[in-house]
Amino acid sequence: MTVGTDITEVARIKKMVQTHPQFISTVFTEKEIAYCQGKRNKCQHFAARFAAKESVMKAVGRGWLQGIQWTDIETVTLPTGEPKIEAHGTLKKVMKEKGIRSFAVSLSHCKEYALATVIAMQE
Amino acid sequence: MEDKEIYEKVKEAIIEALGVESEEVEPNSVLFDDLGAESLDLLDIVFRLEKTFDIKIPRGGIQQDMLVAEGIKEEDVVVDGALTALGAEKLRERMSEVDKEKIHEGFRIDDIPTLFTVQTFVNIVKYQLENK
Repeated sequence: MTVGTDITEVARIKKMVQTHPQFISTVFTEKEIAYCQGKRNKCQHFAARFAAKESVMKAVGRGWLQGIQWTDIETVTLPTGEPKIEAHGTLKKVMKEKGIRSFAVSLSHCKEYALATVIAMQE
Repeated sequence: MEDKEIYEKVKEAIIEALGVESEEVEPNSVLFDDLGAESLDLLDIVFRLEKTFDIKIPRGGIQQDMLVAEGIKEEDVVVDGALTALGAEKLRERMSEVDKEKIHEGFRIDDIPTLFTVQTFVNIVKYQLENK
């Protein structure tokens, strides 16, 4: 079992969204974009999902320099409202190599900051 | 494009992304340690440079470009996310602008961005312009 955690400034995400139109499509999946765009405080939700991506990379000990794309890490929301990490692409390959079965994730956000904690559950 | 012009444009992108003063930015300034950058700032800088120079900077698998060349296999240079002795040697060659003592066997691949200097981005832009 390994853990990763991250804190992201909501204002920083807001600035990225406003300055770089390609930021959202580069970093977030279609499902994540649809979920966040439907929320009143969308940048808080984008920031929480960004923090989740950073946390997953920390938990697996690999990052974007090793081929994991931002969109390989997707936070989906279950009908219960609980967040869940779905793995795609290179992340799936890395999970197999490291014997990681799934991730447990917890997200939290307020006006200023978003936090994520991820536990990689090994077989 | 002249090297000086590339440097000035890279410097401008870094100043805008990080909100630092012009006097603080030197070619050998380390983005994380000297200029206070965070991982999201690197993405900000990359987007700005792509727009300014009309280039595409690869975001995934950079280590393949940096280390896996000349027929060298990935497992010869990186084992479990850390550089081998050969990997460290290759990275020192590739990132000649970085203090050589900082790159050693066992250095984590994911910590490479902590080594990035202003000159690193100048070199990345020059490489992408030459291979456009």
